[in-house]
Amino acid sequence: MRKLIEFKNIVKSFDDSLVLKGINLSIHENEFVTLLGPSGCGKTTLLRILGGFISQNEGHVYFDDIEISNVPPYKREINTVFQRYALFPHMNVHDNIAFGLHIKKQDKQMIEQKVKKMLKLVNLQGYEDRPVTLLSGGQQQRVAIARALVNEPMVLLLDEPLGALDLKLRKEMQVELKKIQQEVGITFIYVTHDQEEALTMSDTIVVMNNGEIQQIGSPTDIYNEPENRFVADFIGESNILEGVMLEDYKVKFDDQTFECVDYGFEDNLEVDIVLRPEDIDIVPLDMGRIKGVIKSAIFKGVHFEVVVETPYREWIIHTTDKVELDKEVGLHFFPEDIHIMYKMGTY
Amino acid sequence: MVGAKSHKVLIFVLMALILTFFYLPILSLMVFSFNDSRSLTSWSGFSLQWYEALFKNREMMMAITTTLSIALMSTFVATILGTLAAIGVSKSKRLVKEIVLSVNNFPILNPEIVTAIGLMLLYSSLNIQKGYMTMLLAHIIFSTPYVILSVLPKLRRLDPDIAEAALDLGATPLEALWKVIVPMILPGIISGALIAFTMSFDDFVISYFVSGNGVKNISILVYTMSKRINPTINALSTILVVIITVVLLIVNLYPMLNKKKELKEAE
Ligand SMILES: Nc1ncnc2c1ncn2[C@@H]1O[C@H](COP(=O)(O)OP(=O)(O)O)[C@@H](O)[C@H]1O
Ligand SMILES: [Mg+2]
Repeated sequence: MRKLIEFKNIVKSFDDSLVLKGINLSIHENEFVTLLGPSGCGKTTLLRILGGFISQNEGHVYFDDIEISNVPPYKREINTVFQRYALFPHMNVHDNIAFGLHIKKQDKQMIEQKVKKMLKLVNLQGYEDRPVTLLSGGQQQRVAIARALVNEPMVLLLDEPLGALDLKLRKEMQVELKKIQQEVGITFIYVTHDQEEALTMSDTIVVMNNGEIQQIGSPTDIYNEPENRFVADFIGESNILEGVMLEDYKVKFDDQTFECVDYGFEDNLEVDIVLRPEDIDIVPLDMGRIKGVIKSAIFKGVHFEVVVETPYREWIIHTTDKVELDKEVGLHFFPEDIHIMYKMGTY
Repeated sequence: MVGAKSHKVLIFVLMALILTFFYLPILSLMVFSFNDSRSLTSWSGFSLQWYEALFKNREMMMAITTTLSIALMSTFVATILGTLAAIGVSKSKRLVKEIVLSVNNFPILNPEIVTAIGLMLLYSSLNIQKGYMTMLLAHIIFSTPYVILSVLPKLRRLDPDIAEAALDLGATPLEALWKVIVPMILPGIISGALIAFTMSFDDFVISYFVSGNGVKNISILVYTMSKRINPTINALSTILVVIITVVLLIVNLYPMLNKKKELKEAE
């Protein structure tokens, strides 16, 4: 796929606080890229630099290999769905959607046709004449998406577009947005702090923290091979422990040595280790690699979240089997379930 | 209980007295502008002769024209200036905003006479011939701050993303201003314009000091004629009172009507 956008060493500070600390990122055609990170990590700021609403202190932004830092927002082939929609309250649904086309002085008939198509795409046929102030959150959301997409941008920026919706509607819209992206076939850059949303929708996830990119990868990469403790922790519930990489394929933690599949680390390097709760099995005492006692088991809808206590720590385990409280059990996992990560700041 | 009731009666009587003292002179002035005779105290029959005399009086008609043209022009300029200034201020850093707003409040809080003498001295020191233009300029100067004060709250309630959304959709900053920002703050602009109009229309103190060369607005004319009792002044004053009352009614009712419309739309 063709590279469409490139951020090169973007640095941005507000007053005295450094908000982006050198962002390098490439985004391709037709890609669904998600910027994922906790609130305040700089996601919106990066999006606003791409939209052209603020400018970076250092670094370059390339669009189609052309540096666009000095191109004003109204000349960029990018449209945005704003966090709080930012619909024009003095216009009805139709006029909101048609705004961009009117500005470009497109032919009246053409405008009507495109607006109609958009209303169909976002499932709002018949709402043309409604004032936008009377729409529900979900409907306003759809108008915002239609208003942006009708301009046929090459890139659509979405800043936590589902943040204000309730859970059920959010799930529906996730599916719908993904469908829309595939239908119109353009690049989506999507901002969220919800890891589940990122994992279900994205082709590529960019995990950010504190103005820095922590990891770039596919959802499975990010989930299965987190690059550091932050990513492992942020992307889902995990057992994160400290250990020592004795040599290639051998790691020691909790005073035991385990076989693993990682290599290429320095011998005897202190590392972080992640074990996903669903990768650990609860087995009879004599079959486990680690022994512990079941402290609690909470039903979570699909699985039980079980806590097993050992002399070293409490393990979180997801299982669909029923377990007995206070029973001594063994824990089992395979070498490939052990993910070794450099400690943050040592790579 | 009896105490509370007599309290209420007392308040009612006081209010009635106050209103009477306020409005009785104006009412009598209006009534006697239709009097058949010259008297300002005894009624001798209905007639429109003083209005006729008024419209035949060149000096008075000149004053009315001057007042209206200055009010309209200064309102027009002050509304544009004040709206743009308010938009600029709302986008500035906090320190700049505070400084500009304090300076803006100066002419509003200052006694009018200070502004008047200040402007007069300014014109004299710059050797500007006092007349129509100086009066127009002065009116623009003293009414602009009211427009700013009336537009700013509307801007403050504006979602900052709205302007960005317009740019994002391809509007130039000017188009964004004209097609999105102005329509959204229009109620503030209109009430600002109405206030500017009344301020200009009934101004006496400042106009008196900055005008010259025989250029008079209604207030100045009434003032210079007030020593010679002449019921044409009553007729003129009645017109003045009616216009001011109508504009003030609009200023005060406009926001209410607007709210009602919004409520109706919301249903
Ligand atoms: N216009 C601004 N002025 C000052 N600080 C800002 C501004 N915009 C954002 N920030 C700060 O920059 C940091 C990153 O903000 P933002 O990019 O909005 O984070 P996110 O979208 O990831 O939640 C925050 O600490 C925020 O307070
Ligand atoms: Mg944000």
